[in-house]
Amino acid sequence: MTAPVGKKPVLTVKELVIEFQTERGVVRAVDGVSFELYAGQTLGIVGESGCGKTVTCLALLGLVPTPPGRIVSGSIELNGRNIVGLGDREMRNIRGRDISMIFQEPMTALNPVFTVGNQLCEVIRRHTDATRRQAHAQAVEMLAVVGIPAPAKRMGDYPHQLSGGMRQRVMIAMALSCNPSVLVADEPTTALDVTTQAQVIEQMVLLQEQFDMAVILITHDLGVVAETCEDVMVMYCGQVIEQAPASGLFTRPSHPYTAGLLASIPRIRRERLQELPVIRGMVPDLLSLPMGCRFSTRCEYADQRCQAQIPSLRTATGTDAAVACFKPLGEA
Amino acid sequence: MEILQFALRKIIGGIPLILGVTFISFLLMVYYGPDKTYELLGKNPTAEQIESVRAELGYDQPFLQRYVTYLREIVTLDFGNSFSSGERVNSILKRTMPISLAVITPGFILGNLLGLVLALVAAYHRSGWIDKAIMGFSVVGMSISFLIVVIAFQLIFCSSYGLNWFPSRGWDVYSLSDYLRFVTVPTMATIFVALGYNTRFYRAVIVEEMGRDHVRTARAFGTPPAQLLYRSVLKNSLIPIITRIMFSIPLVVISGSLIIETYFGIPGVGKVTYDAITQGDQPILKAVVGLTAVLFVLTLLITDILYRVVDPRVSLK
Amino acid sequence: MSSASVAAENTTIAVRGRDSLWSKAFYKFRHDRMGMVAFALVMAYGVMALGTVFGWWANDWSEIRGGRFDPISADFWFGSNVNGQDIFARTVFSTRTAFEVGLVVAILSTLIGAVLGAVAGYYSGSWIDELVLWLKGVLDSIPFYLFVAAVAFAMQGSAYGMHVAMVATFWTTTGRLVRGEVIKLKQFEFVEAARAIGLPELKIVFRHIIPNTFHILLVQATIVFVAAIKSEVILSFLGLGVKNGVSWGRMLAEATYEVGAGHFNNFIWASLFMFGLVMAFNMFSDALQDALDPRKV
Ligand SMILES: Nc1ncnc2c1ncn2[C@@H]1O[C@H](COP(=O)(O)OP(=O)(O)OP(=O)(O)O)[C@@H](O)[C@H]1O
Ligand SMILES: [Mg+2]
Repeated sequence: MTAPVGKKPVLTVKELVIEFQTERGVVRAVDGVSFELYAGQTLGIVGESGCGKTVTCLALLGLVPTPPGRIVSGSIELNGRNIVGLGDREMRNIRGRDISMIFQEPMTALNPVFTVGNQLCEVIRRHTDATRRQAHAQAVEMLAVVGIPAPAKRMGDYPHQLSGGMRQRVMIAMALSCNPSVLVADEPTTALDVTTQAQVIEQMVLLQEQFDMAVILITHDLGVVAETCEDVMVMYCGQVIEQAPASGLFTRPSHPYTAGLLASIPRIRRERLQELPVIRGMVPDLLSLPMGCRFSTRCEYADQRCQAQIPSLRTATGTDAAVACFKPLGEA
Repeated sequence: MEILQFALRKIIGGIPLILGVTFISFLLMVYYGPDKTYELLGKNPTAEQIESVRAELGYDQPFLQRYVTYLREIVTLDFGNSFSSGERVNSILKRTMPISLAVITPGFILGNLLGLVLALVAAYHRSGWIDKAIMGFSVVGMSISFLIVVIAFQLIFCSSYGLNWFPSRGWDVYSLSDYLRFVTVPTMATIFVALGYNTRFYRAVIVEEMGRDHVRTARAFGTPPAQLLYRSVLKNSLIPIITRIMFSIPLVVISGSLIIETYFGIPGVGKVTYDAITQGDQPILKAVVGLTAVLFVLTLLITDILYRVVDPRVSLK
Repeated sequence: MSSASVAAENTTIAVRGRDSLWSKAFYKFRHDRMGMVAFALVMAYGVMALGTVFGWWANDWSEIRGGRFDPISADFWFGSNVNGQDIFARTVFSTRTAFEVGLVVAILSTLIGAVLGAVAGYYSGSWIDELVLWLKGVLDSIPFYLFVAAVAFAMQGSAYGMHVAMVATFWTTTGRLVRGEVIKLKQFEFVEAARAIGLPELKIVFRHIIPNTFHILLVQATIVFVAAIKSEVILSFLGLGVKNGVSWGRMLAEATYEVGAGHFNNFIWASLFMFGLVMAFNMFSDALQDALDPRKV
């Protein structure tokens, strides 16, 4: 992990374990996830659907739906303070002020019966002691900052009067309005068309520099990760299986699963999709995980040890990467 | 202007509904209904007397003409005289409707309000024991027949076998304290019966809304619970809530509560309607049906305008 | 692949999805303790009703065997009424009345609701849809008791006036739900495929669409069953329902004159038995909904 010299992390997650009580049994959706995050840094989280990316991030805001969910163990230190187990009132003060989250669906993420201006002002006034007038001015400014044309006029619009891209910009404005130290973006562009995607991501990168925030970016688009993130965390079945600087990860993946993910990126978009190499098999059911390494059922290098023991995260020789694998690719 | 145009369109659009309701009721009640001729005649009527009564009742006219006469009655809001008392139907309704409203309104409002509050509490503690207890009581409430509640409440509150606090029958209201004396037990019965259904309905609506993305967004920005319930949940659940309340209004206003009024001997529209049913008093029945249909159309109109008020996404089209 | 086999394939997929819905639902229902208890109770009531059909018990409900308001005894388990008739027999026989009305109304209104709702949904936006919606609006806007009385008049006091009126008004909710579901189903591939290979439209509706709404129909039928029983009791109480038989409603009507004089047997037993059945059926219906609706909250 690239720890900037002399800086303290804004966010430290240690051995986080989250379980869900379901009809079929207890599902461990997040299993011992740890990472650190520094101001100005962007961490990308990638992994197949259902591997626990969203749940991990929800936990950072204390938003894991309880019940059925529950943080079993681990700690989350935000600006030096452990927020696991914090009371509801304290948690509310942190949400939106110290840590903000942008969600995937801009179409439904805003309250449809209030104007965007109203919703923005609401957040600003909750976390600062701005007057109505000041909050309004600041909201207009934020809309301008995220690149919405004629922001003063847009304040009176309802969400359904805006395009998807604009709504996501409003969400970003809302998330940044109280100058949080951490911004979590959960697939912020998945629901947008390609051109808008690029614009929104570009805007986010600009703003991150401007506000000196730490950003967690969840996405399925590895291209975006390569462009925007310093570090990447690869998750599989609730566990981190590789964590490395983006530069190294994309050129020299250590975990066979990461390699598989990278290989599945279409070089020329949308062409000859069938011939792409795919990781064989299916993600195992969280209720009946393999005994050893969770990827062993699909891994072409897996041997008996892989099937019997769970590898822990360790530095792979000759790289900056931490990898949870007995036979990482560079070492064999 | 836009509203006026919209209203006009809606009312015109409601005409088929009014025609349908009145036609079916007319066909069943009047055309296939009982022949009242001989009840209105003395013993051993002459042929002329029979003729004149039949003409008075309109029986000598062809079916369609009689139906058109009925429609004209609805348009002019003049339904003639009651068969049994000879009183003008209009004056009967004018006398009884306020009584029905006075009897039913408190229970209607409290039943919905309490239901909403219980639903909010249950939904907020979703799947906890509070929720389970509230929903358990709702099912029990839904399973007890209105009749049983009415009889039991009268027994408990109005008879010497119980507390005997309130009069068991009638409507002798000249002051507020009279009103409270006569309205309390019917109101409690109405609330008891409606509460189970209302709570369940509102809870389902609220839980559905609580699962929406924008509620999660609001929580992610630190919205406190009271605000969350009001701004995100209630404000967004208003459409189903308004629908439910609005569409029970026509039946409540016109039919009143037939069971409450007959059982407690309250001279409201419900009782008048019940008596008209048992006596085949067609002018009154025609008025009740016709007015209900008209009120339904007006309700549709007002409901649509309310939708527009509470939800910016709805446009008056 | 030919379009026919595509259609067949897709239909089997839809059918398989349906099967798993039902087997999952069955599994879930079996493990719902409250639901199973409720179901057992409903079955017990069913046996009680069937017994009267086979003449095992309670067929002496109209016989005058005792005195006026005999107390509870070995002969009169629930006492006797003003005429000296056995309240136990009357209570039990009323179960049969309730089941009769409930079953007839539930089955017929579900059938009508399914057919009209499916047709309206399949042809949504067309005049057929408009017509069904209009009919639904009209039937929903006629005051219920008036409608029952009017139908009874029109049917010249036939014993089935009440049934007809209830079926005519109770199908509308089922119809609305089915219509909504069919509008959703219409967009699925198996319908498109069936249309592409030129299956006749009515066949598509009856063979491919309606079976996919069975889960709604089943739940709705239980809800209508309860509503019908409750309405039957009220109508019989008001003198608009059961005329020549016995019903909890008629027992309650007798009770209104008796409770004031301190005779509670009619009231208590009719209330208790009715409450038991309605409560059990409500809980059974809830368990069904839980099992069949993956989104149920
Ligand atoms: N409310 C819940 N109830 C029960 N289980 C849940 C719930 N939310 C999440 N899970 C479990 O947690 C696992 C991880 O879910 P999560 O939403 O974090 O996946 P994800 O990595 O964000 O996937 P995606 O890429 O599809 O968004 C899921 O497989 C699911 O089993
Ligand atoms: Mg996710």
